Amino acid sequence: MVPEEIWILIEIFLFPGFLFLFSLAFFTEWLDRKIVAKFQNRYGPLYVGPKGILQPIADFIKLLSKEDITPRMADKVPFRLIPILLLTLAITPLFCIPIMGSKALIYFEGDLIVIMFIMSLIALLVFIGGWASTNLFGTIGSIRAGLQMFAYEIPMSLAMIGPAVSAGSLSVSKIVEWQISGVWNILIQPIGFAVLTVCLMAHLQRVPFDIPEAESEIVGGWLVEFSGKKLALIRLANDFELVLASSLMVSLFLGGPYGPWYISPVTYLAKFLLCVFILSNLRAAFARYRIDHLLAGAWKYLTPLALLQICLLKVWGI
Amino acid sequence: MSCEIPFGPQHPALEEPINFMFKIEEERVIDVKPRLGYVHRGIEKIAESRNYQQLVYLSERICGICSFAHTLCYSQAVEELLGLEVPERAKFIRTILAEMERIQNHYLWLGLTAKEMGFETLFMYAWRDRETIIEMLDMISGKRVNYGVNTIGGVRRDIAESMIERIERSLEHLEKRAEYYTKVCTKDPSILKRTVGVGILRPREARALCAVGPTARASGIARDVRADEPYAAYGEIPFKVVTYRGCDVASRMYVRIDEIKESIRIIRYALKNMPEGPIRVKVPTRVPEGEAISRVEAPRGENLHFLKSNGTDKPERWKIRAPTLANLPSLCRMLIGVNLADVPVVIAGIDPCIACAERVALIDVKTKKREIWDGKDLWRYANEWYRRKYGF
Repeated sequence: MVPEEIWILIEIFLFPGFLFLFSLAFFTEWLDRKIVAKFQNRYGPLYVGPKGILQPIADFIKLLSKEDITPRMADKVPFRLIPILLLTLAITPLFCIPIMGSKALIYFEGDLIVIMFIMSLIALLVFIGGWASTNLFGTIGSIRAGLQMFAYEIPMSLAMIGPAVSAGSLSVSKIVEWQISGVWNILIQPIGFAVLTVCLMAHLQRVPFDIPEAESEIVGGWLVEFSGKKLALIRLANDFELVLASSLMVSLFLGGPYGPWYISPVTYLAKFLLCVFILSNLRAAFARYRIDHLLAGAWKYLTPLALLQICLLKVWGI
Repeated sequence: MSCEIPFGPQHPALEEPINFMFKIEEERVIDVKPRLGYVHRGIEKIAESRNYQQLVYLSERICGICSFAHTLCYSQAVEELLGLEVPERAKFIRTILAEMERIQNHYLWLGLTAKEMGFETLFMYAWRDRETIIEMLDMISGKRVNYGVNTIGGVRRDIAESMIERIERSLEHLEKRAEYYTKVCTKDPSILKRTVGVGILRPREARALCAVGPTARASGIARDVRADEPYAAYGEIPFKVVTYRGCDVASRMYVRIDEIKESIRIIRYALKNMPEGPIRVKVPTRVPEGEAISRVEAPRGENLHFLKSNGTDKPERWKIRAPTLANLPSLCRMLIGVNLADVPVVIAGIDPCIACAERVALIDVKTKKREIWDGKDLWRYANEWYRRKYGF
């Protein structure tokens, strides 16, 4: 028999650990680009690998080999640290997501809170990154990133608390387990799911909420001074955030790896792809909002809707 | 806290180099200083050493997008000096091509504005549809951008019977698309949020600052050279001048989309009623002494060419006033009070073509002295500057 330690190593490094997550991140980026291209009447990635599936990896390697510039006026230490921290923080919460069965690699009571905390940290790091670059556009971008965080943070947390309330647990694995015995959360909390989707779009800084980057207004915003390896790491971190966002939607609202027929990572992946499709679809269908539109919209509509969802849960007593 | 933010000369939202220095207070623009001069090409100076036939091709290259409007304007000025009557068929062909160019330009504008708003899907769609009209222009003239159709005394290429059917078919498609864009631009909440009430230019200001073209028409001023002072075949074709009273970017968008539909109607009418006959007349190379002013409604607004001849085969002076230059004061007015996020949309709103607007006029900021330089002066200045700076 294979000793248990080897199994654990395989789980951490191969499946569903690092190797799987990295390939999933690159694959998600490719899928996202391909779907958006389809909506926009373009081809999207085409040349590297079959149907351009290796394009994200090629882009990553290309960026790694490019010149890495640190501006003279920048705050050197935070400026260099931020890409690494962003990537680390984007990968960490993925280990709390159950992919194989009802148990994630790491699970404990309250891991949902940790995930929320890490997502806020990512937003804060974005702010510090833009600020440390001391570029004018970077500064404006980072201020916008900070403001954006104020807009989506509260409704997002409320929408994530909804499933926890119905499951009676703050652990993602427990929430998934509860959904096997009961029903999928999306059926009893459709408003929460919608609010979470919109907030995740804002968290991922995707159109229509790419306000901190806003290429046509502030030339890339907080990202403007990052180049070479740093940019490569940040882009990879973005891919992981997309994976995390879709995984959260799957685990909290769509029943995780449990399907109507059987439990397997395949079911998980099918649901995951559906969520990526939703996020990409939304990305192709809007113009960019202004920061004041987002703030007003988030506080006027999203937060009350998220609160209403939790009230409804209590009223129905589910 | 107010800070100064440079916008351009290199900026992703600008297709051409121009610099705006914004003074902003909490993302709101309180002052703006435009600075031109990055793409000056000295076209007016070159013109003094070329003959009239060569200048047709030079005028085509003033602007990459409204190239036909410039050649038309220039040819009309020369024809006026020569006292020449252009054949009727040539006039109709000129009208058709000018309107096709307007359609092409307005689709391009729609795409660019969508891009400034961050709406990439609309950008891709508009440019895909623009391809249809470019193919038609390609079929008639053999080129996609600088058509080379105009010449002094008429046009160089005829529209054959076989082409008409294809043009009709593409017009049908474009009309359907224009309807679709009207629906999108009046209904889509994210577009409305970004355009309605943004970049206000009141009718009184528009009149005082001499706004031209769609910018003026979106402020409710029915100013259109095609109707006010008909040239080519516009006098014989019924059409209406599109105006909107919104005074904002949304109105500029609706004016342009409606103009696409109006242009399609004009082309249809012109194709149906095109008279038979020659398409050009022979012209002498020497032009008698005199002065002429010619005005053309380019897609971006009124185009004005002034031509002074001295009896030889070369002009003495050729002055070009492109619509962008006329709209710059209005643009600076619109930008004040605008949110920084809306700046690209507002700038795109006048459909700027910087290269057209560039004329040499150097202003010394310290002494406020204004002088006009030619190539020799520039050369001397450059040499002196390097000698001073590096000591050789």
